[in-house]
Amino acid sequence: MSTSLGPSRLEALLESAQLLHSSLNLDDLLRHLLRSVMGRLLITKGVIAVAEQGRMRLALVRGLPKLQVGEMFDESEIRANGIHLLLPIGDASAPVGMLGLAHPLNRTIEEEEIEFLNALLGIAASGIANARAHAETHELNQALDQKVQELKTLLDLVRGLTSALEPDDVAQLLMLTIAGRWAVRKYALVAWKQGHPPVMRLKGMELDKLADYERFNLCPDQMDDHIRVSDLPESNFKTLLREEQAEVIFPIKAGDDTTGGLVVLGPRPGNLSYSESDLEFGAGLTAQAAVAFENAWFVRETLERKKMEQELALAANIQQNLFPASLPKLSHLELAARNRPARSCGGDYYDALPVSGQTHLICVADVSGKGLPASLLMSNMQATMRALLGRIPSLTELATLTNSLLYATTPSNKYVTAILVEIDPETGQCRYVNAGHTDCLLLRANGEAEWLRATGTPLGLMEPDIVALMAPYEERSFQLHPGDLLALFSDGVTEAQDEEENEYGEARVADFLRPLASEPAEMIVDNVFTEIDRFAGSAPQYDDITLFVIKREP
Amino acid sequence: MPNPFALNTSQQDDVSVITLEGFVDAHTAPQFENAIQQAVDAGRIRIVVNCEKLNYISSAGLGVFMSFIEEVRERGGDIKICGLVPKVKHTFEILGFQDIFEMLDDQPTAVRNFQAA
Repeated sequence: MSTSLGPSRLEALLESAQLLHSSLNLDDLLRHLLRSVMGRLLITKGVIAVAEQGRMRLALVRGLPKLQVGEMFDESEIRANGIHLLLPIGDASAPVGMLGLAHPLNRTIEEEEIEFLNALLGIAASGIANARAHAETHELNQALDQKVQELKTLLDLVRGLTSALEPDDVAQLLMLTIAGRWAVRKYALVAWKQGHPPVMRLKGMELDKLADYERFNLCPDQMDDHIRVSDLPESNFKTLLREEQAEVIFPIKAGDDTTGGLVVLGPRPGNLSYSESDLEFGAGLTAQAAVAFENAWFVRETLERKKMEQELALAANIQQNLFPASLPKLSHLELAARNRPARSCGGDYYDALPVSGQTHLICVADVSGKGLPASLLMSNMQATMRALLGRIPSLTELATLTNSLLYATTPSNKYVTAILVEIDPETGQCRYVNAGHTDCLLLRANGEAEWLRATGTPLGLMEPDIVALMAPYEERSFQLHPGDLLALFSDGVTEAQDEEENEYGEARVADFLRPLASEPAEMIVDNVFTEIDRFAGSAPQYDDITLFVIKREP
Repeated sequence: MPNPFALNTSQQDDVSVITLEGFVDAHTAPQFENAIQQAVDAGRIRIVVNCEKLNYISSAGLGVFMSFIEEVRERGGDIKICGLVPKVKHTFEILGFQDIFEMLDDQPTAVRNFQAA
């Protein structure tokens, strides 16, 4: 530093240096710089330009009404406006700025004063660098604050979603989070999955129509992760979104055509727009929620399935109670029966009901179809039989009336095949009607097999008038002699299949029973079930299996 | 270990005061939402949310404010926020809430503000 600077100038330099370094605000700093210089040298026109991203722009103008802050620094223009002296701020080869001054009133700037200015500008250069760094740090901090806030938001949402068990809870959390993140007042969430009611959360937007996703041809899986409404191709979807002032949408993706949803956001307040990074963040939040929606729907389905299984178990239990708890003890006769449904609820039925005195009606029936609907029809059949029995003089009339009742109360594709055998234990006299049921076996004591073939159509299948006209139920009779065995069964016995899909068949039934005929009825039933299982091997049981064995004492 | 959270509602003349304590996050925001919903459903649309004892608020909590302000103002009411501690206030400010909501120093000021209007 030159010694030609007098003490008062040194003092001014020192004061300026302190002030220049104490301010971290660039604008304050520049004002102070120009104020000091113009005051000190009694100059009325001055300008400071500062380099911004490689370009020099005017940052402060005093006494030069034709120059505007923000304009590009143009040396000739500045000189034309009466600036005589231009000095670089900082290193002359890459200055951080320029100081331009007119001559003081009535004189020119002296060499000595230029030295003073250069010293001052050297200090100002470091002050400007500091202020710049500070501003940048401040901006970085703000950006960092935003990122930290985003991270916190994401963590908070993820934590919250772990305890959201219902799709509505997921929607609530996601939309509160998004609304809070961007201070949005108008928004909508619509999500759907086939078999579930749509999930909706709407604030200030009438977008419930979107639940009809097929009408708008919405396929979130095929959309981008985030979409600005202005970028959408023209469609009734876009028109609707525009009407509701929607700005951006985030698709909720689920990986199939019948599941998905949309998050729709209205404008941010204060003319703020959604930045690319905002959109990416929103898409990330939505993706988290998409997984949670899937889980919530899955949980709901599981619960519903469980509930249904419980109801089925209950139905199976009720149905088992419809079978007689024990068979009647009849003189000269030995009875044994068993049913094994293919599923938890079956469609087979057997019963032994007293008619008069010792005379009983033995019945084996098979309801069309399987599972719950079949068992409902079965209980209907049972109730009908029990209600009619005793008031009906003959088996044909019982069959005819049962047909009429079932026909009137069930769909036409639901019907019951049944064999009804009325037996007098004292005499062994039997009468029967076979209503479209599988042929049942009368195995004589001498080993001869007789088959009780159908004597009418299945119950509930055909219109009563047509049955009466074309195929009335026919009653036949036979005598059950000592040593004879009557095997009434459902087609689950004869149509049981092995692994090669061969059916067990009538011949095997007769052949298997013949050597067993002298065994107790209970044991015969046991053996037949064991035999069918042996025959089926690993093939699954497709149909209910029912077997009723009646033996007359030898 | 869930973060502590408590919510109280009271009535001061025709102003509903909802006091938040502890952490309003994704777990607790639904309770906050229910409280405002109940007030709004009952036609109490002059609402002060007292945040003196609020330690933390997540975006989901802030979303509750956003979810009602439109409706409340359309019906001639308002939601005012009071007593924010600096750390929490910072969160509100990062997200630009100061441009949308009136934030007051304490509950008496906030309530008076309604009554003066």
